[in-house]
Amino acid sequence: MNRQGATPAMRLFAECLMAYETKAGPVLAGKKPPAVLVCDKLRLPLATLMGNAGYRALMARALTLAKTETPWPSEVVIKPDGSLGGWETLEAQDDPQEMAEAGVVLIAQLLDLLTSFIGEDLMLRQVYEVWPTVQLPQGDSIAQRKNENTK
Amino acid sequence: MKTLNKINVAKSALPRKIVSRPAKVAIRQLPTGVRGLDEIMGGGLPEFSFNIIAGAPGCGKTTLAHQIMFANATPRKPALFFTVLGEPALKMLRHQQQYSFFDPTQLNRSIRFINLSSALLKNGLRGVVEEITREVEASSPAIVVVDSYRNVTRKTIAEENELDLQAFVQRLVLLLTSWQATTFMVGEYAEAEMRDNPVFTVADGIFWLSQNVERNSVVRKLQIIKSRGQGSVPGLHTIRITADGLQAYSRTLGLLQEKVRPAKRRRLSSGIPELDKMLGGGILEGDSLLVAGPSGTGKSALATQFLAEGLRHGEAGVAAIFEERPEGYTARAGTLGMDLRTPQKNKMLEMLYLRPLDLSVDETMQEILDAVKRLKAKRLVIDSLVGFEMALAPGFREDFQESLYRMIAALTGAGVTIFTTVETADTFNEMSFSHYTISFLTDDILRLRYVEIEGQLRKVITVVKMRGGNHSKDIREYIIGDKGVAIIGPRQEQYARLTTGLPDRIGQIKELAPEPKAK
Repeated sequence: MNRQGATPAMRLFAECLMAYETKAGPVLAGKKPPAVLVCDKLRLPLATLMGNAGYRALMARALTLAKTETPWPSEVVIKPDGSLGGWETLEAQDDPQEMAEAGVVLIAQLLDLLTSFIGEDLMLRQVYEVWPTVQLPQGDSIAQRKNENTK
Repeated sequence: MKTLNKINVAKSALPRKIVSRPAKVAIRQLPTGVRGLDEIMGGGLPEFSFNIIAGAPGCGKTTLAHQIMFANATPRKPALFFTVLGEPALKMLRHQQQYSFFDPTQLNRSIRFINLSSALLKNGLRGVVEEITREVEASSPAIVVVDSYRNVTRKTIAEENELDLQAFVQRLVLLLTSWQATTFMVGEYAEAEMRDNPVFTVADGIFWLSQNVERNSVVRKLQIIKSRGQGSVPGLHTIRITADGLQAYSRTLGLLQEKVRPAKRRRLSSGIPELDKMLGGGILEGDSLLVAGPSGTGKSALATQFLAEGLRHGEAGVAAIFEERPEGYTARAGTLGMDLRTPQKNKMLEMLYLRPLDLSVDETMQEILDAVKRLKAKRLVIDSLVGFEMALAPGFREDFQESLYRMIAALTGAGVTIFTTVETADTFNEMSFSHYTISFLTDDILRLRYVEIEGQLRKVITVVKMRGGNHSKDIREYIIGDKGVAIIGPRQEQYARLTTGLPDRIGQIKELAPEPKAK
């Protein structure tokens, strides 16, 4: 699949995951922003599945694609274990909306990539391993799939 | 003497339980999830065994491991699939989910994929064992797969010594056996490597997969090189990778237990009363009959009449046809007054059209056997042997006669009567039966041939052989009319040397041509 922008469905899904993490605790200075927390949590099952190198490669590709949609500080990098490095610079951004948008795009791109490789079904199963109770907006195709999967 | 008596008394006084042999351990067998493989394995996979799945790339090793996992994993006794420096897990999942056996609901619930590359690169064999130990102890898996084990050892051979490798293998086997896991090490190996690799020594089972190219066809084979504790079917078995994953076709076609023919057998009508008389009352049930003759002599018509006669008596039939499509075959039978359409609708007749040029002989025979079992068929037509052989991939043609023999022997042993046609070239100085070594394939042989008589190419039939009893030795003339083959004349006595096709007239009786001559 040769695409640029994250799909609307994945953007919505990414927003849900970030909202879930935000609910878990307020964003305080020095605390990882929701997008970084989501990436960190996803890293555990995905690195188990594909190894650190595999997860790192996927994140690097997602970040490259995200950068074509929203501005990202050059300090933000993907570390060898696949985690996000230099995320503190995100906090220095003037506009928190812009920071959140950057996070949404990165996660959406990551989920889109996963979907293109293993399909929506298996991608969702990986995500629900981490957030089994995450609430998704009704009417969305992914939400419908989740309901089907949890029946 | 006194002592001996004492011993005897003592033995007889012992309770039966103590003197009898203690019960052997029962090895439970797990399903492989691969059609035909359980039977090849001698019933299934021995539980808690340590196995190697080896072979060249593209043989289906990973797919086989997946099928075994999906067939056995449960949430309580899950399967762990460790990947090591091989096919990236994402790509593996991308490809494996295309198979019908891949059930996504099992993922993470009863099947887990764990990447060991980092552990291997960082800490070598010790890291791999530690990681596997942690995961195994955490989930008590029923099935463990390491893919590719070869990559683990390759790195070790390069950097560590052989003793380390042996110690690693030993630790792994002890761990996985003690934790009651049935284990599969997947790897790309060449046969020569079996000698020096400790893992082959400790393995309880070795599955060897291979892939050979024969002209334009690919032939995949499976061999169970080793299977401790149970009897597997020896030799090379054909495998095919389909949308359902691997399918295996046993060399024995699942027919090891041949039934013994009953001493008293019925005689089945061929559908042609005069021919039945020539056959001493009909074809003996469970016989294999071969009809040999050149093109256009009515071999298929005879075969159709044989099937139709069975159907009239409520006997289900199967026709494996290779030279004509079922619709054409059915329509042609209709022109001879035989309705094959209704019995097909009523599941009394199945027509198998097997023409792809890549068929394996075992696969084709399995199709036939499945149909015979499905319908509980009493009559089977194979039309024709030449077409059958042509439908096979070149690499399988060498096995053709051997496999055919096995199938015919097994089916006839089970009471199925087989009617096979074979095309022969008519020469006008001899009467050959076929280029196959047929005597061991058939109980009965009918020979059809053209003879030139008074400016016409006429047809004669003779029974060459009937293993089960006496038969007519007459050479009789027949025609193919609107009801099929009909034998029209008594023994032909007006001519000699009919078998050459160019007979000499020796009689004086003036006879009419059986079919009108053109004016």
